Amino acid sequence: MNARVVGRAGGERADGEHADGERASGGRASGGRRVNARVVIAEDAALFRAGLARLIEDHGHRVCAAVDDGGALLAAVAEHRPDVVVADIRMPPTHTDEGLRAALEIRRQHPGTGVLVLSQYIETRYTARLLEGSVAGAGYLLKERVADVDEFAGALERVAAGGTALDPEVVSQLLRASRRADGLTALTARERHVLALMAEGRSNAGIADALVVTGGTVEKHVAGIFDKLGLLLDEADNRRVLAVLRYLGA
Amino acid sequence: MSVRSRGAAARAVLVAPLALAALTTPVAPVALAVRAALAVRAALAAPFTRRERRELLFCLAGLPFAVVSPLVLFVCAADLSWLAGGTGRGNPSPADLAIAGACVGLLLVLAVSTGAARRLGALPRGLATRLLGLRVAAPPARRSPGWRDGAGRRTWPGPGLRDGGGWRVVAYLLAKLPVSLIELYAVFFWIGGLVNLSYPLWWGAFRNHPPGVRLSPVPVFTPLGLFGAGTFRVATLPGTFAAAAAGAAMLLAAPWVTRAATSADAWLIRGLLGPGRLTQRVRDLELSRALAVDDSAALLRRLERNLHDGAQIRLATLAMNLGMAQKKLGDVGEVPDAAAARELVGAALQGAKDALGELRSLARGIHPPVLDNGLADAFSSLAAGSAIPVELEVGIPVRPTPAIETIAYFCAAELLANAAKHSLANTIALRAAGQSDVLLLSVADDGTGGADPALGTGLSGLAQRVAVVDGRLTIASPPGGPTKITVELPLRA
Repeated sequence: MNARVVGRAGGERADGEHADGERASGGRASGGRRVNARVVIAEDAALFRAGLARLIEDHGHRVCAAVDDGGALLAAVAEHRPDVVVADIRMPPTHTDEGLRAALEIRRQHPGTGVLVLSQYIETRYTARLLEGSVAGAGYLLKERVADVDEFAGALERVAAGGTALDPEVVSQLLRASRRADGLTALTARERHVLALMAEGRSNAGIADALVVTGGTVEKHVAGIFDKLGLLLDEADNRRVLAVLRYLGA
Repeated sequence: MSVRSRGAAARAVLVAPLALAALTTPVAPVALAVRAALAVRAALAAPFTRRERRELLFCLAGLPFAVVSPLVLFVCAADLSWLAGGTGRGNPSPADLAIAGACVGLLLVLAVSTGAARRLGALPRGLATRLLGLRVAAPPARRSPGWRDGAGRRTWPGPGLRDGGGWRVVAYLLAKLPVSLIELYAVFFWIGGLVNLSYPLWWGAFRNHPPGVRLSPVPVFTPLGLFGAGTFRVATLPGTFAAAAAGAAMLLAAPWVTRAATSADAWLIRGLLGPGRLTQRVRDLELSRALAVDDSAALLRRLERNLHDGAQIRLATLAMNLGMAQKKLGDVGEVPDAAAARELVGAALQGAKDALGELRSLARGIHPPVLDNGLADAFSSLAAGSAIPVELEVGIPVRPTPAIETIAYFCAAELLANAAKHSLANTIALRAAGQSDVLLLSVADDGTGGADPALGTGLSGLAQRVAVVDGRLTIASPPGGPTKITVELPLRA
């Protein structure tokens, strides 16, 4: 696992459906094992930036650069070609969405680099823009999630490995606003919970960890959900996330 | 409620009695002499300024409007009727007057209902804008009465008979007649003055008769008349110097006569050719409402920004530090990394204190709790917190509404902060007095002056906030100081 990720960081990462599947397996495995990712941080609040860097290094990753605006982020990514970028959405000079715009640019120019955007708000519009096209290697979390250091590190590793990490708040907004609310009523409370965790981008192993159940139980729930919602069950995590999000109308 | 914060005042006086004395000493006699000299120079130079030329031009350009005055038209029409009647004798008969009245009335009705009156009114308004710098908005356009034929085409090309704007132009033309006479008089001051002044120059050219010849004297114009009574006559060369002196005096007086005439005309234009008092009031209210909406939107945006960049990010950092510390402490038993955990908890504690400080100052910025006890308390707490000693005098018998108190408080806070930042003053005097229905707030300092709302957003922002409640902010801050800024606020809003 280690070697594979480092090798990919060397620049021979492929994109597309097949790679999505591969990365998804990496994401699934990251729940337990350690991935040595190279990270670039963009955040304008100095204290938070320093704390973030420390947290990430404590988890065995390497912070190549920590910058404080969108332009510097693009330059740092071009220079270091990191596995994953952690970017604040609202940064100087305009304090609106330059972090997100830089993130989209990175996703366009360097498809191999995962992008995890942080914000103090959840904006559904931002979610839609970030996940446009593909959910692979993308994440959107509230800043306060960093308090659960292991959860946050897990999300970071998932995105670095090409997986998805969506904030529970994003998912609950989607669930609330879903046009298919009637279809969701058919699910049991447990299945709805599993659906939410799936939408966050977690693998079966991750869901099993979060719910403190066995992997087999999770697989059973997942199969039940796909059956009730009329979706095609797909083994690859990313395509699974995509299917769930499409269903929810993201 | 009548409070005078003697405590704060006494404290401030103790701190800097000398500087205060300097602030309250009457203006020195030397300064008075300088001021008088400047006034004389201004009076002597007045006839030659650009402004005078423009005012004179305005008087000249406005004269033709007297001709279309309804009164002049009426007299002309009556005379024409009288001439056409063929008798050519005696006074115009009542029939002549009736015909003239009908003609002029019909003309006015036509002019108003077709919009010609409005177009005519635009001319003096434009002249006033170009020459006097008087900006008067056009009266709001009246919707056409919408007389339409069967096909839906409009059949009447003007604003109709009930166009108040048009009738007010007619009123202006009526009232303009006496004003025109004053304007004509002002023009006479200039021309008569110049002619008188030139007497000594041409006297020799025409009066070179042999000695002993008695010449008829030449009349000299005076403000009292052109010929005959009111003028005096000169018959000798030394006499022409008296004429020249009279001319010079007239030229010196001419600017003031011109200004009186143009002021009267400007008053008429403002009152009759503008949008009218109610409409103007509506416009002012619309403007101040827009300001209020902008102000509150800007306030909310600033608040969000402060929360986002301040307390929120500090709390997120604090949570992150605590999360990392928790991990360093381990789940049970032996602490794996006590040193790092201690450091992280320390950082978290500091973060919590900083966040509390941010939140406190933010909350106070929204509504200072001290304001609950009235402005007197709030001002004395402001004065106590000022970097420069403040002499405080508060007398507010009737408590203003909360909105006014808040505006007054933030004005005082901003003005004190401005004075502390820019004025290099030794003392500041903060006075608040409640009169019948006005709250007068003044902040004066003995600093360097030169406060200009155009230079920064602070003063103009304050003026905007004050304007929202129909208040007024006046700045007196000559370069070199002292500065006195006065805020007038209504007691209720």
